[in-house]
Amino acid sequence: MTLVRHLYSRVMKKGRFIGLLALTLVPALTLAFSPLSDSGTNMTTHYASILAGPGFTVAIATLILTAAVLREERDGGTLPYIYMRPIARRSIAASSISAGILAALSVVVIAWIATVVATISIDGRLSDTFGGLIFFTTTTIGYAAVFVPLGYLVSRSLLVGLGYLFVMETILANAVSGLAQLSIWRIGLSIYLGFEGDVDESVIEEFLGSVKPGAGGGLAKLAVVVAIGYSVLLWALRKRDAL
Amino acid sequence: MTDTVSVSAVSKWFGLKVAVSELTVVFRPGVTGLLGPNGAGKTTLMRMMAGLQVPSQGTVSILGVDPRQDPGIYAKMALVPEDEAVYERLTARQFIELAARLTRVDDPPGRAQRVLETVDLVDSAERRLGGFSKGMRQRAKVAAALVTDPEIMLLDEPLNGADPVQRAKLIKLFVQLGAEGRTVIVSSHVLAEVERMSHRVVAMVDGRLAAVGDLETIRAAMTDKPRLFYLECAEPRRMAAALIGTEGVVGVHLDGERIRIESSDAGNLAHSLPRIAVEEDILVSRVEPVDESLESVFRYLVKGG
Repeated sequence: MTLVRHLYSRVMKKGRFIGLLALTLVPALTLAFSPLSDSGTNMTTHYASILAGPGFTVAIATLILTAAVLREERDGGTLPYIYMRPIARRSIAASSISAGILAALSVVVIAWIATVVATISIDGRLSDTFGGLIFFTTTTIGYAAVFVPLGYLVSRSLLVGLGYLFVMETILANAVSGLAQLSIWRIGLSIYLGFEGDVDESVIEEFLGSVKPGAGGGLAKLAVVVAIGYSVLLWALRKRDAL
Repeated sequence: MTDTVSVSAVSKWFGLKVAVSELTVVFRPGVTGLLGPNGAGKTTLMRMMAGLQVPSQGTVSILGVDPRQDPGIYAKMALVPEDEAVYERLTARQFIELAARLTRVDDPPGRAQRVLETVDLVDSAERRLGGFSKGMRQRAKVAAALVTDPEIMLLDEPLNGADPVQRAKLIKLFVQLGAEGRTVIVSSHVLAEVERMSHRVVAMVDGRLAAVGDLETIRAAMTDKPRLFYLECAEPRRMAAALIGTEGVVGVHLDGERIRIESSDAGNLAHSLPRIAVEEDILVSRVEPVDESLESVFRYLVKGG
């Protein structure tokens, strides 16, 4: 726990937290003050506002926070202070990913609350709120499992991470149905829609493409993503120079 | 005395650059100076001993264990890195307590207080490290290493930035740690400081081992270099003339009121000099070796004289 707490507090710098919070609040604010607020009946657009907007900002916020967990230790020259401890490498790997998830969720949960408030202000209902939290949480966990190892292994991890989000998650996964199955936000969305049950087909068509909604299958995919990210980080901690 | 740190046929290269080449050396309890000019490979060797870098070939063993394979060894080992990196937002006390907690030692606050006193940082303990001078950071890093009570201490240029008073205190501390039976390996290019800490040195040049052992032994082993002495006596000119042709004396130069003697056999000179002084009836007031210092030895090793 000491290591998780240390890594968490290291990435949660005040300026960064405020900046990322502002970023993730933008979709909720846009939603609250958009013309849709007046009509409020187009559910597809509604979903798009709730999920795609915050989903994308959440992905960027998660990238910035989670990639920083070990990258800042390495770049700042402080990695020896955590590496040279009698702590199993698997514990360092697990603590790093956990700290990344917690840091990202700190921002994401506030963004989710803002989105819920914005949604209620539009249609006066509390529907979809729990599902939105599932989507944000699962997506954050998946991205953390990818971006924490990325931050440790790659010096320009933010650039590579943004490339991954735009090229792989947005363009390629849209174009190639096989790749859509690996898209983390689609996995999160499939879990959400799996829990949601009765969802408009047009929403599934527009956002998931070839990916079928399903909580069980989505959670299994998420578990595989986390296992792969953890294994890569563990390998790097054991085999690569810790500098 | 048993070997506590063993480096066996270790090499490390980065692309085409060879940082350390086929280096084999052992360290034992006590203080050992790791010497070499910038780029000699000292820091790379330190990092490999610390388990931070993987040797390209060869093995490193700390108390019989490869630190890359068994992180448990870090309960007995600490490194003071060369760079200034610290957690700038933490206070000195928080930084040291963090080291204690991550190493899972008993009573982190109590231990932190004790090591803060040891390195004279009690008054600054609640200040953030970001506002510390370089010398104060060094002391905080030394304290963070000491708080885990390690058997093996790797100190990479630990005196950088410290003021003269603190340097003297840290040197005294390292000598004391060595006397307690810890293995203290101090990397430095400030030769005079190493000389004050330890007579045992490991010298590296261009990633290779240049010499290991006591200074005197290393100097004596460099038989291709004549040893230099200054001789002060009553009649330097007559003494200089008498010394010419003496076995083991390869050069005699008058240097003001002193005679500079180059000798290929210091032992022989030690026997001949009193005899000549008696025979010539010249009062010798002082004989001083001028290249026995670490700096001289090191200059020979690095530059070939």
